[in-house]
Amino acid sequence: MLSVTINGRAYGPREVRDELSMNDFLREYLGMTGTKFGCGAAQCLSCAVIVDGPDGTSYTMPTCIAPAASFNGKSIRTVEGHAKNGELSVLQKAFIEHFAFQCGYCTAGFLNEGQVLLERLAKKPVARADLEKTIVEALDGHLCRCTGYIKYHEAVRAVILADPGRYLS
Amino acid sequence: MRISRRELLKSITASGIALSVSRLAIAEEPGFAARETMPGRQGWNPAATGVGRIDGVAKVTGAKLYAADFRGADLPGWPQATSHAMLIRAADATHIYTGMDLSRLSGALKPAVVVTADDLARAGVRVPQFYAGDLLCPVGKTPLYLGQPVALLIFEDFDAFDQARLALRDATVLKFGEETGPVKMPNYAAFRFTRIAGPTADAPDVYSPVKNGWVSPGFTESSGHPVWARLPAPTGQAYVEAAAYGEKIRAELAANNPTLLVLDREFETQSIDPMFLEPESGLAWYDAGRKSLELVVGVQSPYEAAESVAYLLGSANGAFKSAHINTNFAYCGGGFGGRDHTPFPLYVALAAMFFPGRCVRLANNRFEQFQSGIKRHAFKMRTQVGVDRATGKIVAFAADQALDGGGLANYSPAVATTGATASLGLYYVPKVDVTTYSFHSRGVTAGSMRGYGTLQTMTALEVLVDEVCTALPLDPIEFRRRNALATGGRTMTGNPYIVSVRTPEILDKLEKHPIWAQRAEEKARGRQAGTLVGTGVACAAKDYGTGGDACVGSVEIAPDGRITIHCDAMEMGTGVGTAVANRVAAHLGRVADEVAVARIDTYGPLALVTSGDSYTMDQKTQDAAARNPRWVPAISTATTASIGAHVGTHAAAEAARVIFRFGLWPAALELWGIAPKDRRANQWQTARWKDGQLVMPGLPSLALPAIAARAHARNGVTGAMTHGFNRWAWSQATFQLAGQAWTADIDALAVRRGAGKYARINRSNVKFPPTDFNRIGTSYTSQCGTVVRVEIDRSTGALRIAKAYSVLECGQALVPELVVGQAQGGFAMGVGYALHETLPPYEDGPGNGKWNLGQYLVARGSDLPLNGLQIEVLPPVDPAERPKGMAEVVMIPVVPALLNAIYDATGHRFRSLPVTQAMIKGVLK
Amino acid sequence: MQLNLRSPLFVSIVILSASMPASHAVSEAASDALASVESFASIGDTAARSAAIFTELGKVLTHPRCLNCHPAGDRPRQGDMARLHQPPVERGADGFGLPAMRCPICHLQANFDAAGMPGNPIWHLAPREMGWEGKTLREICIQIKDPARNGNRSVDALIEHIGEDHLVGWAWAPGYGRQPAPGTQKQAGALVEAWVKTGAECPN
Repeated sequence: MLSVTINGRAYGPREVRDELSMNDFLREYLGMTGTKFGCGAAQCLSCAVIVDGPDGTSYTMPTCIAPAASFNGKSIRTVEGHAKNGELSVLQKAFIEHFAFQCGYCTAGFLNEGQVLLERLAKKPVARADLEKTIVEALDGHLCRCTGYIKYHEAVRAVILADPGRYLS
Repeated sequence: MRISRRELLKSITASGIALSVSRLAIAEEPGFAARETMPGRQGWNPAATGVGRIDGVAKVTGAKLYAADFRGADLPGWPQATSHAMLIRAADATHIYTGMDLSRLSGALKPAVVVTADDLARAGVRVPQFYAGDLLCPVGKTPLYLGQPVALLIFEDFDAFDQARLALRDATVLKFGEETGPVKMPNYAAFRFTRIAGPTADAPDVYSPVKNGWVSPGFTESSGHPVWARLPAPTGQAYVEAAAYGEKIRAELAANNPTLLVLDREFETQSIDPMFLEPESGLAWYDAGRKSLELVVGVQSPYEAAESVAYLLGSANGAFKSAHINTNFAYCGGGFGGRDHTPFPLYVALAAMFFPGRCVRLANNRFEQFQSGIKRHAFKMRTQVGVDRATGKIVAFAADQALDGGGLANYSPAVATTGATASLGLYYVPKVDVTTYSFHSRGVTAGSMRGYGTLQTMTALEVLVDEVCTALPLDPIEFRRRNALATGGRTMTGNPYIVSVRTPEILDKLEKHPIWAQRAEEKARGRQAGTLVGTGVACAAKDYGTGGDACVGSVEIAPDGRITIHCDAMEMGTGVGTAVANRVAAHLGRVADEVAVARIDTYGPLALVTSGDSYTMDQKTQDAAARNPRWVPAISTATTASIGAHVGTHAAAEAARVIFRFGLWPAALELWGIAPKDRRANQWQTARWKDGQLVMPGLPSLALPAIAARAHARNGVTGAMTHGFNRWAWSQATFQLAGQAWTADIDALAVRRGAGKYARINRSNVKFPPTDFNRIGTSYTSQCGTVVRVEIDRSTGALRIAKAYSVLECGQALVPELVVGQAQGGFAMGVGYALHETLPPYEDGPGNGKWNLGQYLVARGSDLPLNGLQIEVLPPVDPAERPKGMAEVVMIPVVPALLNAIYDATGHRFRSLPVTQAMIKGVLK
Repeated sequence: MQLNLRSPLFVSIVILSASMPASHAVSEAASDALASVESFASIGDTAARSAAIFTELGKVLTHPRCLNCHPAGDRPRQGDMARLHQPPVERGADGFGLPAMRCPICHLQANFDAAGMPGNPIWHLAPREMGWEGKTLREICIQIKDPARNGNRSVDALIEHIGEDHLVGWAWAPGYGRQPAPGTQKQAGALVEAWVKTGAECPN
């Protein structure tokens, strides 16, 4: 059985096959294709969503290698949930303003990962000297074939440096 | 293959701009076209103020954009439910295929339809010539290549499909019998390019491809290898003459002349996957009642895809005969060439035809994408260069290139010739002889991919040049200066470039850059720290354009000044929508409010017709055809060959010029109170736009909305639709408009006045580029140079790219941020190609269906100098310089620069790709 | 899976060659067998017998299922080809990965065969001091006995660790697309016990 909260909205309970992946649940059953399918092997993370734990911590998770059933009782955010009332998030705006993406297919994954990083740093800031390394470690699981990554990193860094009191120690 | 005009008009119809309501009456659901028109429903257009791309909001909010995103329920009028299809592909290409065992698929897992080669034959399906080869391997034949599809299975719903997929994973589904070995097929192409310059730079060439035509050898050995020797060709003396000159050049190189340094080296490159993040997929629905086939696909060649599907079904019988094919083209999640002329849409169409009344999805997972997606050709090259020791000038050059084209011909001939004619990079050489051929193999089909053969040949060249410089010795920048092709100089095929040649500036920039200037100190510093430090430099000159590019586009301006653009270029990440909006803005003063790309269907008023093949037709045929004022050599061609800026935006830009000249300008004159006879009335080219205002010296600035309103009110031209064709030069034609003769680089024009309808204006004369321009290798070039510093760990061979600098020129950069982004992405792709990516050919390669990203390593952020890569884009030579293509050139010099840096660090010259950590470790003592 | 051996000779079934990796079907008889303890009875000298038993155990210890997570450095390996793990994950402070890519995020409580994804409730890297990639059997043997490098275990505790630990046990039920370790966990445990009882000798 699967009951899951997606972008604040409850879905289910509904029966799902054991072998159904979460990625297919989102894309085929719910039509939520903002979460992409890139490799099916947790190598590219185009399929990653944000999982919000009950303890207030969040992490990104690839949906292609996880059974939908394993999300039972979980609360997740997808790319469709970042903008609120038509207002783009700070990170979404930064991605646009920095020309961070090109074809855009990996963008949902990068957005989710960047958002989780921002939230993590807001709770546990890092030293400025460690910032670039922290961003690389956070984003390195995500493959992009178009951009060479540089503008994605610039966008995330710009958001952090625009609010150093919140993100840096 | 060209279908008749009538077939064409029947098959290419208006796509879903008319928003028909879906069966469940979801009135708000936008039609496909509305979803793919930017900036989209959210309204904010970041490009309007230059802060972002026109598709920016859609892409950061996960809007449905890609073919992979759509299901029946998303498309008004389509069946709500989606069925799912899969292709069964053969991982054996050396035994006879004897049959299929689907017994595992019982009960709920049973496919609704199984399509085999027999079914295709019965239906009267035809394979377009470009894709010649069985679409499905029939029983009794050895598969032509690894991964060749054998059957198409269609499942009622997703659950059945998903469970079937898993059930088939463990099973031996396909049966094979007698071992035959791989299927032998003739070579895809073979050419010899020979040039002997005359005694002086201005004297006519003694022999050249442009002067004497392109030649191919007439004989092959039993192995399939062409016989390049000077045997009499059955069709005449043409090849013999080229071979005679070619052999003389090689004899000169072999003569042991002490005044020459002659290096003779082999270089081998690997097969590569474009690895665009969105695997190929498509959606289709055949409405048997209306005999109408609807398709949603994401390809780089929309017109060709529509044509190919029309041909596929063009003489199908009975239930498979459609009267109407409507193809909807989506944004693509990457392309890099791999989505250009791909056979995938054919299978999508078949899935619908064999399951009529249903919406069917066919999609590759990543294993299948590796197994069947277009690959980059692996090259084996032998290159000989003869350099005068005293002057450091290259006096003679010879090369032999062999390309593994894999299972289907696809673009193999074009990749061979493009790679061959780029073999000299940015150098001038008076005596050149290059042979090239591409052959069939049982590997996965190779075709178009970023660089298109020139990446391979110029990597071999620039590594060889580096070795020449070490051997002479001569400073690598100075060597390039001495040998650079100058403006007006003749390329390998014997023609000069018709655009700027900026080698001296590129070289100056490289020489002055600290990475290059400080290479000796950095090397020494590395030695002290126990690290091997090396610096490498390389340059590339890449053509842009294919010699047969066509574009079609339209622009409209509303009474309030809002601008709408349609163009046939497609979006795969390059940002062509934003680029075309910027280029039009230069003429109309405002970034477009709506841009629809990949539209091949909204140009009915032009009533274009075409015939023949623009690459092979002779002058007489072209002249006769051109007498029809509606005839053009090609209607719309692929978004490829770095042509987005140069071709993709051209038709819309020319449309915008017409609107300005015959719509906005006369309206502005009226607002200024300037009479038609006034001298200033003709000075429309002096006017400039600034912040949405039209500025003329000595006159008050006018805001665009006011001008647009007046243009509408006075029934001026408020919309224009144009077509352009480029065969190494633009077609030119003259049109009578408002009593004026308007001559421009277009060959078809329709205009709209006020709120009226479009009306054709017949051209009063036209000059198409001569057909013998097909002998040109390229007339367009852009250049890029890269210098890179690497640090190699002595104990592990691990290589770190410490810093890099790429300098390029691209004429007018329509969107500077996009140019830099392309250069950064090209750098990353070059790093992957040089150091990480490789696919074994044949049974161990991706044709076996087992490859994914765990084995195929593309560059990650941590592989790149994220904070150490500097990109510099030279400004245009003058403000009027047109945009050049640069998306490929920015990848090329990175590769040899890395190899040259590795040599500098280790003393070892690698002559194959990729150069992995293990290989580097292997040469370290 | 229990092999029923009636003779000292054991049947060895060749593992698939390295060029046919990962997603090949796991057939019922595909994995190597492990010799039974009894089959070593013919070796008279106790020390020699002990070392021989450890050599047999070495088939398990050096199999990719074990070696991939006992690497020399901080990066695990992956698959039957034991290539470097992609995406590039690292041990991190606690062996469960760096903050952005914790092992349990992808490696869930159990294998997810539909995606070929291995899983276990405590999926993580063995500590650095327990890495034995690239070492000889003798070196591994010495290391595995050393309390400073084996998690402060006595040799007796190794019997339970190898014979019954749940994560170790995953090696014999690794899920779709992966060759199990040779024999069974019970058989491996029996070998450890016999090795310990014969003095836990190391091979040369």
